[in-house]
Amino acid sequence: MILIAIVIGCILGAVIGIYTPMVPYTYSGYLAIAIIAALDSVFGGISATLKKQFDLKIFVSGFFGNAILSILLTYLGQKLNVDIYLAAIVVFVGRMFNNLAIIRRYYIEKWTNNKKNKEQQNLNKND
Amino acid sequence: MEKEKKNKIIMAVIISLVCIILFAIMFMQFKTIEETDITAIENMRESELRTAISEWKGKYEDTQKQLEANYKSIQDYKEKIEKNEETSELIDKDLEESNMLLGKTDVTGEGVIITLTSTEEHPVTYYHLIELVNELRYAGAEAISINDARVVMTEIVDVQGRISVSGQRLASPYVVKAIGNQTYLSSTLSLKDSGFMDRHQASGMNVKLETSKNIKILKYNGELKAKYMKEVKE
Repeated sequence: MILIAIVIGCILGAVIGIYTPMVPYTYSGYLAIAIIAALDSVFGGISATLKKQFDLKIFVSGFFGNAILSILLTYLGQKLNVDIYLAAIVVFVGRMFNNLAIIRRYYIEKWTNNKKNKEQQNLNKND
Repeated sequence: MEKEKKNKIIMAVIISLVCIILFAIMFMQFKTIEETDITAIENMRESELRTAISEWKGKYEDTQKQLEANYKSIQDYKEKIEKNEETSELIDKDLEESNMLLGKTDVTGEGVIITLTSTEEHPVTYYHLIELVNELRYAGAEAISINDARVVMTEIVDVQGRISVSGQRLASPYVVKAIGNQTYLSSTLSLKDSGFMDRHQASGMNVKLETSKNIKILKYNGELKAKYMKEVKE
């Protein structure tokens, strides 16, 4: 059910995104940073789900909070003439890789466990 | 059981909403980047450069105009200076002429030389000289001198039996030089019966008339002062 919701949401979002007016070029940098923050939250949410620690409140607050905070930081960096958004990208992408590693490990373990179980069953059957 | 289902539905809705927002923003960004592209940035730069160029062009034109204006004013000043020179030249000329007429400078030109020599029977008196000077002036003489003493006003007086001209005491022979129209002067002096030469030669005085192309008359030696008179201004 949640999977269906995710798919529907993705498709609807894509359609809305295609038909909305263009963002001025000067603001696209802020949007990009917000997208990276949101993606980080999504991966964090997935990994949390796999660990059975998923909390909707944490996920939603992280999703919006991180995006807004990263936008503010980028704005501040532009005012200070320091590329703070680079730090935000490093942190978010690093966390994304961490979460991806957790997800990958989880599925690989699951897969190998399944294989082992099957072999065990086969062996049991043969015996 | 019922509560769990409700929670799941709420969760699904919220997650789908989050997905919608995320994907909407992502696709907006994709579209923006795709449509803006690098050419847009280049266009922006180009337009910026263009405005800069037009700005500089305007500045250049302004300075050019100013330069031209400056050149023009310089020309005006030059013209004014030339005019001033012209006027000052005219004034100089005027002054020179006045000075010459007044007798402040040595002058030269065509004219006549009359030599009067006293004899026992007919001594030359200052009346003769006054008469001669009057006649010369009447004939249009511009400068007159007697024995190199410039006659500016008629200052010929008898001082204790000797003739004094412009403060200089003279002795015979008296050489009267006059600058003016040569022929006119000589013909006026030589008029029959009424001319100076004719009358005095007839009475036996020793008078000689010469004409010369190049007579030099020295300047007035005394001082010309306007001490009591003032120019009338209206």
